[in-house]
Amino acid sequence: MDWNQILQNTVRAAVGVDAIYFAIAALGLNIQFGYTGLVNFGQAAFMACGSYGLGMTAQYFGIGLWWGIPLGIVFVILLALIVGIPTLRLRADYLAIVTIATAEIVRLFVRSVKFNKMFGGTEGISNFSREYRDLNPFDPGSTYGIAPFRFSGYTLITIIVGWTLVAIFACLVWQLMRSPWGRVIKGIREDEDAVRSLGKNVYAYKMQSLIIGGIIGMFAGMVLALDRGSVQPDNYSRDVTFYVLTALVLGGLAKVSGSIVGSMLFWVLFVLSDNFLRELTRNGPLRLGDFTVIQSTQVGAVNYMFVGLGLMLLMTYRPQGLFGNRKEMALDGR
Amino acid sequence: MLGDKESRRRVLLKFVLALTCGSGLVGGLSASHSAAASDDYSIVASVQNQTLVNGSTSRLPVASVSVTVTKTDGSKIGSGVTDENGLCTIVVPSRDNYLISIDTASLPDGLTMIDANKSTVSISKDLFTTNTKRVTFFTGQGAESGASEFERILQRLTDGIRLGLIIAMCSVGLSLVFGTTGLTNFAHGEMVTFGGLMAFYFNVILEIPILISGPVVIILGGLFGLLLNWGIFARLTKRGIGLISQLVVTVGLSIMLRNIYLFQFGGRTKQLSSYSKQTNLEIGPIGITPRDLTTAILGVIILVSVALFLQRSRLGKAIRAVSDNVQLASATGIDTRKVIKLVWFAGGALAATGGIFRGLDEQVSFSMGSDLLFLMFAGITLGGLGSAFGALIGGFFIGIFVEMSSLLVPSELKVAPALFILIVVLIVRPQGILGKSQRVG
Repeated sequence: MDWNQILQNTVRAAVGVDAIYFAIAALGLNIQFGYTGLVNFGQAAFMACGSYGLGMTAQYFGIGLWWGIPLGIVFVILLALIVGIPTLRLRADYLAIVTIATAEIVRLFVRSVKFNKMFGGTEGISNFSREYRDLNPFDPGSTYGIAPFRFSGYTLITIIVGWTLVAIFACLVWQLMRSPWGRVIKGIREDEDAVRSLGKNVYAYKMQSLIIGGIIGMFAGMVLALDRGSVQPDNYSRDVTFYVLTALVLGGLAKVSGSIVGSMLFWVLFVLSDNFLRELTRNGPLRLGDFTVIQSTQVGAVNYMFVGLGLMLLMTYRPQGLFGNRKEMALDGR
Repeated sequence: MLGDKESRRRVLLKFVLALTCGSGLVGGLSASHSAAASDDYSIVASVQNQTLVNGSTSRLPVASVSVTVTKTDGSKIGSGVTDENGLCTIVVPSRDNYLISIDTASLPDGLTMIDANKSTVSISKDLFTTNTKRVTFFTGQGAESGASEFERILQRLTDGIRLGLIIAMCSVGLSLVFGTTGLTNFAHGEMVTFGGLMAFYFNVILEIPILISGPVVIILGGLFGLLLNWGIFARLTKRGIGLISQLVVTVGLSIMLRNIYLFQFGGRTKQLSSYSKQTNLEIGPIGITPRDLTTAILGVIILVSVALFLQRSRLGKAIRAVSDNVQLASATGIDTRKVIKLVWFAGGALAATGGIFRGLDEQVSFSMGSDLLFLMFAGITLGGLGSAFGALIGGFFIGIFVEMSSLLVPSELKVAPALFILIVVLIVRPQGILGKSQRVG
C-alpha cells in the first residue's frame, strides 16, 4: 500500500478542480436551499446550462467563447421560470419533484440523437475552449508547484481562475445575505406568511433566489467544462446535485464558509476512500476466506454508498453540518 | 408603453432569427480532427431481414446495402456495401465515437427498416471492447412498419396500458406514505428495484420459477418497507426531525441503496429466466406475448383488489382516514402508528410487485426503479398527492400517455411529455384530480 501517494492525492483533492466546481455549485445551492429553503434538486441542470452555454457557442452558434456567459444566463433564467412558475407558490416538495424531473429531462434532451446538431448527443461537445487555452500564461506541458500541490500548467490556470471565482461568489453571497434582500430571503425560510404579511412579494423573492443560485451554479458547470475541455451530458446526472447537496450539508447549510469547506472536505474524504479501496483491490479482489469482500470494479459503488450513508447520518445527527450553527437550521418552517 | 414592448419583442425575434441562421452556417463547417492511427479498428455492419415464419423469427442477410460511417461531427470516415452474408467491414482510424447509417433507399424493394429511427446507430468509443465492433440493422415487417396509423395507435395503447398498470402499482405506496406521514420518499424507486432484483435472485440464481418465488418476493418487499419505517423514518419522526430534512434523508437512502444494488448486482441489465422467450400472440392488429397479457390481467386484478380494499375494508377506511387528516383520525380512535406501518408494508409489497412485473416486461437492473420514479411522481401529482385512488388513476394515465406520445416524439424523449403534464397540472390544478386544495397551500 502506497500511503505516500494516497495521502498526496487526498491533500491535493482539497484544492483540485472537483472541489472548486463543487464549491461554486454549493454556493448557489446554498442560496436556494440553505437561505431560502427552496428544495432545488436540479442544480445539475443549472450547471449544464453553463457548460452547454459555452459549448454551444462553438458547436451551434459559431460565436466567441465568452458569449457563452450571457447565453448560459438566458438558459438559467428559462430553466428557473419553467421549474419556478408552477411550483414556487406551492409547498416545498413540489419544487423538489419538478426540479429533479426537469434536470433529468434536460439531460435526456442534450444527449438525444434528435438534437445532435445542437448539443452533440451522447458524445457531448469538445473543441470549444481554445480561446480560454490561449489565455493560459503557463506551459500546459510542464508541472508547477511543490508536492503535494503539483499541477500541470494545463490544470493550474483553471485552479487559479476557479478559486478566484469561488472567492468572488463567496463575497457576493456574504454581502447579499447581509443586505435587506438577504434578510427577506432568510425570513421566507423561517416563516413565509410572516414575510408576506409585511407586504413582501414572496413569490418574486423566491424566483430571484432560484435564478441567482442557478447563475452561480452555471459558473460551476463552466469551470468543469473548461477544465475537461469538453461537455459531457452524463456529467450532469441527477446524482451530481445530490453529491453537491451532501458537500453543502457536510460544511453546514446557510453559511458561506460551509459551502467551500464542505466541498473541500467532501473531495478529501471521497479521494481518500477511493484511493484506499483501489490500492486494496489492486492485486485482485480482497478475500476473507472464501468470501470476496470487494473487487476493484466495485470500488465506485462503495464510495457512493458512503456518500449516501453520510448524507443520511448528517441530516439526522448534525443537520447544521460539521461546523454549522443549529439556530440557522430551520428548514421546516414552511 | 405598448410600443416599447412591441419593439422589444421584435428585437428578440431578430435575435432568435440571427441565432438560427448562424447555426445553419456553422452546421456545414465541421472541424475534423485527425486522430493518429495506432491499431486497426474496424466496424462490421450487418444487415438482416427479419421475418415471422410460423410464429418464430427467422433472419436472412441482406446484400448490397450502402453503409456509411461518419464521425459525430459529420465528417465521413468510410463507406461500403454489404456482401451476400449481409456484412460490410469498414476500417476506422481509432477507437472513437462514430455514427453508422445505412442508406434506406438502397434496400431491396419491399424491405423497410423495422424501426424507422434505427437506420442510424451511434456507437461510443467505450463500446470497442476488441478491435472490431459489430453493428446490426434489422429490416422487415416490424411491429410498426407497414402497419396502418390505427394499428400503430392500438399497439402503443396496449404497451401504454401495461406501463400504466406498473406505474399505478408502484406509486400507490408512494402516495399513501405521503398521505399518512407527509414524507416525500425519493427512495421509493429503490423499493421497486428491490422487487426486481429479488425476483432475479430467486428466479435465476436459485432457479425457482417466478410463480412460486413471486409471492415470496412480494412479502419480502413489504417487510423491506416495514424495515425502512422501523429502522429510519419512525425514528426520525420520534426525534422530531422535520419533513424537509427527512426528504433529504430519503435522497441519501436512495443513493446508498442504489449503490448497494450496483455493488451486489453489477451495472448490466439482466433477464429473468421464466417466460423470457415468447412469441407474440396476434390478437387482431395487436401483438402481445402471453406473458405480457398475463401480467396485464394480473395487474388489473391487483389494482382492483387494492381499490376494493381501500374502499370497503375497515383497515382500508382507516388508511384513507389517516391520509385525510391525521389528528382527526387519531381522535376517532384509529391507531395511526399501526396504520402507518400497514401503509409501509402494503406500499413496499406493491412496489416489489411492480418491480417483478417490470422485470418480466423489460429487464432487471440496479436502477430500474429510480428510472421510473419521475413517472410515479408525475402520476401521483396528477392524481392528487396523498390520495390512493389518485395514484391509481394518475399512474395509469401517465403510462398510457408516455407510450402514446412516442408516436409523436422520438422514443428516447418519450418521458418528456410527462414533465409537461406535471407542470400543467401544477399550474392549473395543483391538488391533482382527486386531491383537496387544502393540502397544497
